[in-house]
Amino acid sequence: MSLRCEGITKAFQGVHAVNGASFDVPDDRITALIGPNGAGKTTVVNILSGAMTCDSGREFIGETEVTNWPSHKIARRGLMRTFQLSRELGGLTVLENMLVAPAHQAGDSLVNLLFRPALVREQEREHAERALELLETYGLYGQRDLRARELSGGQKKLLEIARAVMASPKILLLDEPMAGVNPALIERIGGYILELKQRGVTVLMIEHNLNVVEQICDYVIVLAEGRTLATGRLSELRENADVVKAYLGEVIDAGAPR
Amino acid sequence: MVYYVFTLVFFLFDYFILAMGLNIQYGEAGILNFAYIGFVAIGAYFTGVFSLPNGAGTGQHYILGLGLPFPVNLLLGGLAAMCFAWIVALIALRRLRTDYLAIVLISLSLVLYDFCNNYVSLFNGADGLYNVPEPFAKALGLSVNSFIPFFACVTAVVSLLMWFVMSRVMRAPMGRTFRAIRDDEVAAAALGKDVFRMQLKSMLIGSFYAGIGGGLLIQFGGSFNPTAWLPGETFVVFAVLIVGGAGNNIGMFVGALFVETLLIHLPAFLPEIPGHPGLIEYFDNAVVGIVLMLVLWFRPQGVVPERLRRAASFGVRERQDGDPATDAAGLAAVHAAAGLRGGQ
Repeated sequence: MSLRCEGITKAFQGVHAVNGASFDVPDDRITALIGPNGAGKTTVVNILSGAMTCDSGREFIGETEVTNWPSHKIARRGLMRTFQLSRELGGLTVLENMLVAPAHQAGDSLVNLLFRPALVREQEREHAERALELLETYGLYGQRDLRARELSGGQKKLLEIARAVMASPKILLLDEPMAGVNPALIERIGGYILELKQRGVTVLMIEHNLNVVEQICDYVIVLAEGRTLATGRLSELRENADVVKAYLGEVIDAGAPR
Repeated sequence: MVYYVFTLVFFLFDYFILAMGLNIQYGEAGILNFAYIGFVAIGAYFTGVFSLPNGAGTGQHYILGLGLPFPVNLLLGGLAAMCFAWIVALIALRRLRTDYLAIVLISLSLVLYDFCNNYVSLFNGADGLYNVPEPFAKALGLSVNSFIPFFACVTAVVSLLMWFVMSRVMRAPMGRTFRAIRDDEVAAAALGKDVFRMQLKSMLIGSFYAGIGGGLLIQFGGSFNPTAWLPGETFVVFAVLIVGGAGNNIGMFVGALFVETLLIHLPAFLPEIPGHPGLIEYFDNAVVGIVLMLVLWFRPQGVVPERLRRAASFGVRERQDGDPATDAAGLAAVHAAAGLRGGQ
């Protein structure tokens, strides 16, 4: 499913964090959102996911306009996200974090709890089976009964991705999924994201590591000063003088900026 | 002696109910409801006016006066507290969170208190309601002395029923969603949880418990007036919750036993200090305050902390801890099982 935004603006006390960002995130592809610090990348992701409202502009998921819908409604349309600073549900166990994700749980209704306990129990068991399989895949099975706040930084990143996958997303927004994780884990996370693409998930990821962008992203959107500066493949953008000036600069020769 | 013991038993189980109600709001969903005692009072007053006969000729002024039997009046009292919570939540909960919500709720508690204290036509003002019929007393031929043990037992049974229901709620996805919202509203919303709707549910369930707890209070004593629900009483229920351990129903029982029964009510039955009549009773709030500080300092999770729900309790098959699947086939299988459609 595709994601599209047109002319998104957002100002904080007169300062324009986003100033007319427009782009298409193509279906079933991995798209990178890059740009210098302060370009408005996280604000754009916050607006797209409903965590923030925009001052003007429009957002579409597929053909449906979802401009300024609240987070939970956008999530129910199939758009899931992770956060730059992990937002694990710290007091819940790792497994419980996963179990929060599925939509339409019978056990969220008091009527079902009191009068259809067997249905609730069975659905819980199914969800738990699926969650444990995912935890196994993401290397968190051994931590299933730990409180999520006890995980390491890298494990929290993995849990956030696994939790989003548990909700069967159609679109996944990843806010710097590789930030602060070791090279081996970067490779693993990259593998997970590629596999999600194979499964038909549309991915938009904010990423500063150009090696990662080069290896796994099909398409790149460059944001600068709150506007869309350029879009295309990374190899094309390396030839774009504006992009080089605004973001890539000397890192072209050095590979990854960090 | 029997009177003393069963009075303590009554307060133990009644505060167990009240603490469970506050726990689902604060311990589970993170709503700092400083107006909790107001919902208890609404439950008590409505249970009273549903039970009392028509006000004319009783020397009291109150609304309704329907003369309904127990437990119909009690259930309606609980529902009245729930309706009040619904109105409050629609106004306050939709826009406000944490500290701001707490400030609005404590203000509400004060306004409600002054209103009930001064507006005589509603619940008989400062005199409050009295002569509320004792449940089953006539039918069973209970004397004043035998009514107290009887009603303490009724309260115990009601509290156990309510504990059963609450345990189901807390163990279920609903309780988990409450805790998710408590831990991080933004993350819960990003996972598709309607934060307002879920917090509203928690407010309604908790207020029903408050209303039932209040209803039992007026039925036990036969009277209820504003001195019984000074806004500061909310903090006694908070003390029960914090000492017992937020997020755990057994903790609520332990907290009720320790704070409400032993610290608040037992001193009233202790012998007086010669030359200082009534002095011991004045110390109850101070002692509760000191205990609260000690618990927060040395055991902030409470005497019986929140229990983690382990994977084994979901009835799933155990597997070996192993290396994460990194091969394409393993990943594909798991993602397919997660409901993601096939590659294109």
